[in-house]
Amino acid sequence: MKKLNIILAALLGLGLNYSYAQTPKGSVLIKNATVLTVTKGNLENTDVLVQDGIIKQVGQNLAAPSGIQTIDASGKFLMPGIIDAHSHVALDVVNEASAPIVAEVRMKDVVNPFEIGIYRALAGGVTISHAMHGSANVIGGQNATLKHRWGSDDPAEIIMQDAPRTIKFALGENPTRVHGRGNGIQPRTRMGVEAVLRNGFNEALQYKKGWETYNSGKGQKGNTLTPPVYNERLQTLADILDGKIIVHCHSYRADEIYMLINVAKDFGITKLVFQHTNEGFKVAPEIAEYTMGASVFADWWAYKMEVYYSTAFNAAILQRNGVITSINSDSAELIRHLYHEAAKTQRYGGLTDDEALSMITINPAKQLGIADKVGSIEVGKQADLVIFEGHPLSSYAVPQMTFVDGVKYFDIKADKDDQRQFVSATEMVEPVFLHSEEDHQCLQDVDAYFEAFQGAFLEEKN
Amino acid sequence: MKKQFLKAGIVGLLMAGFLSQSAWSQSDPTGKRRVSATYAITNATIFAAPGQQGTKGTVLFREGVILGMGANLSLPKEAQVIPGDSLFIYPGFIDGAGTTGITKPKDLERPKDFVSSSPPDEIAGITPWRSASDQFSIAGNQVEDWRKAGFTISQVMPDGGMIPGKASVMLLGSTGSVNVLLENTALAANFRGARGMYPSTPVGVMAKFREVYQNTTLALDHSKLYASSTGVKRPEMTPTQAGMSAVVQQQIPVIFTAATDLEVRRAISLQKELGFKLILSGLENYESVIDLIKSSGIPVLIKLQVPDDKAVKSQKADSVVTSDTKAQYERVKEAYDKALKQASLLEKAGIPFGFSTVDAKPGDAMKAVQAMIKNGLSEKAALAALTTNPASILGISRVAGTIEKGKMANFVVSTDSIFKEDAQIKHVIVDGHLFDYEVKKKAANGNGKSEIGPVTVAGVWEYTSETPAGSSSGEITLTKEGSAYTGSISYDDPSGSGKVTAPIKNVSVNGKTLSFEFDVNAGGNNLTVTITGEIIGATMEGTMSVAQFGSFPLTAKLSSPSLSN
Repeated sequence: MKKLNIILAALLGLGLNYSYAQTPKGSVLIKNATVLTVTKGNLENTDVLVQDGIIKQVGQNLAAPSGIQTIDASGKFLMPGIIDAHSHVALDVVNEASAPIVAEVRMKDVVNPFEIGIYRALAGGVTISHAMHGSANVIGGQNATLKHRWGSDDPAEIIMQDAPRTIKFALGENPTRVHGRGNGIQPRTRMGVEAVLRNGFNEALQYKKGWETYNSGKGQKGNTLTPPVYNERLQTLADILDGKIIVHCHSYRADEIYMLINVAKDFGITKLVFQHTNEGFKVAPEIAEYTMGASVFADWWAYKMEVYYSTAFNAAILQRNGVITSINSDSAELIRHLYHEAAKTQRYGGLTDDEALSMITINPAKQLGIADKVGSIEVGKQADLVIFEGHPLSSYAVPQMTFVDGVKYFDIKADKDDQRQFVSATEMVEPVFLHSEEDHQCLQDVDAYFEAFQGAFLEEKN
Repeated sequence: MKKQFLKAGIVGLLMAGFLSQSAWSQSDPTGKRRVSATYAITNATIFAAPGQQGTKGTVLFREGVILGMGANLSLPKEAQVIPGDSLFIYPGFIDGAGTTGITKPKDLERPKDFVSSSPPDEIAGITPWRSASDQFSIAGNQVEDWRKAGFTISQVMPDGGMIPGKASVMLLGSTGSVNVLLENTALAANFRGARGMYPSTPVGVMAKFREVYQNTTLALDHSKLYASSTGVKRPEMTPTQAGMSAVVQQQIPVIFTAATDLEVRRAISLQKELGFKLILSGLENYESVIDLIKSSGIPVLIKLQVPDDKAVKSQKADSVVTSDTKAQYERVKEAYDKALKQASLLEKAGIPFGFSTVDAKPGDAMKAVQAMIKNGLSEKAALAALTTNPASILGISRVAGTIEKGKMANFVVSTDSIFKEDAQIKHVIVDGHLFDYEVKKKAANGNGKSEIGPVTVAGVWEYTSETPAGSSSGEITLTKEGSAYTGSISYDDPSGSGKVTAPIKNVSVNGKTLSFEFDVNAGGNNLTVTITGEIIGATMEGTMSVAQFGSFPLTAKLSSPSLSN
């Protein structure tokens, strides 16, 4: 009976969250800051009181309850923790590249809390990152939303357990190259990508029906129904159809973006976010009308054919067409200065301060389904906060302190030279790459896969 | 039991020398039959179980069973007496999880309609129906090496992919015996992906493991329904599901190879989610999960190896490095010290761990245990990790793990207290079969030199090594540069005639022990060969070892400069 329950739980997509570790929660009073709430304007000389990880009060002349540390932030700026909607930091594996659909793989299985990239992200004010599966597959694995609780040795403690499930999709050159060109199977073309998606969802519908029939019949007397084959891949697709999972789709061209919108409409999928969205400006109204938005680079392109038709005005055009727009890193380097990336929307498109800051705070929070918990400075929200010297959209901005749930994980004054948590006992100098050869991590691990398969043939990587 | 003769020739050569020394039987043309299966080791110091004081006495055993032990045993006439004066007897060591004696089955040919995104289980490394018994040969790879290191029993795991198959508990006994003690004792599993096909990474392996497990559960439900009702579709249980059934029904545990703390957590998360019995094996870096291991009560087998000290040893003097470098040195040193202390922390936490010999070097096994003891592990816990703990984890405590009347005659006989650096293993008895090993005399002190005097390493050494392909020879040239050594080695070209020369690397000199490595390109594969030897004056005796192939004796003499000058 116990086994049956386990299976049912798995089938229902509940999982058994055995490791709801009690994560650290802090209390602190930050005084006299210029508070950039993002959603409720800017407040001069304002105090923010955090208790047990939650923002309790925002106002002037707040008194610290006994035992609560006070930080004077006079002349400094306080903003919500930056949220990166597209990252691969803190993952031991990025791509299970071996099949066109791998919806069953879970990035939560391979989170690595020791990765120094987490600390570097904190030093850039980033408190939450969306640790995504790579873009080798039409439907990749399920992503993990991470809270940057640096110092924990338990992956469960840096996973944001109250964030909804999300999954990676990818269109265009990456999946067609890996599977079509590299492996001789569908999809070889953009049409093939669409076919893989439609076939996958149709199979998922049949799968779901098969289980419903079995479950309704199996308790009855004289039942002869036998259990269908368990397939977590199809179960996950069924969960997408049931609205339990937010789709985050790697996409560049306008035609394929519009294609996915049509597929989503046909299958009743409404939780959809586009990633990269390089030609999003051509279909901005459509994205605005039907999806949860687009996450883009500020000005990074031309790394492969499908990313040549590009503009730095993309984010501003999307924003002004009503698209929920965020700016992401997809890079262990860019993640360290997303505030700078957000500021580029002011140079290219003249967005307001709040609009620009939204792109790295409340908008990515909406795209990850966590806007009720984080993404702005409001009473009742989780206290993910950053103190800046200089306005965060200024070229001279320098993050000073970064808090997650009211606990300070970065302080520029206590920034040791060597912040590594894990040091190898057998390597004299570990390789340290600030700027790795492969800028995007979207196709990380794919090379090794192909080398094993039939020799390295990828000329371009992103 | 099917035997793999692939490597038999190799070990046959090695064994030939050993067997000729013990040719007692005159009328037996093979020279293998024993005069008597009754032995007595007399007047030795017996350490019957971990934590017990050594007592002087005799151990008497017949046909692999301990008949008795004590000071006043009357010995039967047929007993062959082994004078044990000045020797120390310990229970035979038990390897919790190993691959000794295992030969990997040939990779299957891919079918014409092979699709890498959904390969057949057998090709993707999912072969739970396979048994280590079929891949094991007592004449196989490293059996002799591990026995020489004191190991008498090993739970061997099959070689393969993410689920290679079932383990068997084997005696590392005589070639003439049936050495299987227990079959299908556990299912081996690991996070290794299949090469170039699904699942290719640890994240894919975890997903695939769940799928295989869940479908086995469903297939069992289906079979149950079929057995109890009519009109039910015939169950079609796949070989994979049949192979997994014992795990799903909790009859046998899964031995998950998990080297790091993160892998330990991954294995435990699968176990919590699916509900199987679990043994963790091959742990190397586990300090942060000791509490988790303790609270989950999962048996652990740590890797019988300590991290190499090359990074620590190669640190330059403080005076010549910057403060930044010095700070980095400190951290590496700290990491190294912590790694060595881990075993003692397991003991402090009250976790009765055993060892796994997978990927460990037999020649360095006792050195690894000594290093753990130097770093806080008690000798009692160390001996328990080699004997009683694995016996209990494998469920063989009734017959193995201690020296007691009625238990199996598995002993390690050493020249000194076993954890002392100078102790050498003189005999290993497995299932009542005696294996003798040459004991080297301590270097003579009489020649006026101190015991660890300066040894001459630099120069040209002429070596010969007895390899499966026959005698091999060449020259080792070593040059001292600063405090380090560099050089080259010549050897017989494996792919033709003549000699090839390769640069040598990772030279270390520790007391009288010289060790270094070099790479050999054999048929497109790069093999790393390790040479370790003890230098006595102008001669060196040691071994040449190649991972997966075993180790072979090597002797060398210094041809230039001549020491007599």
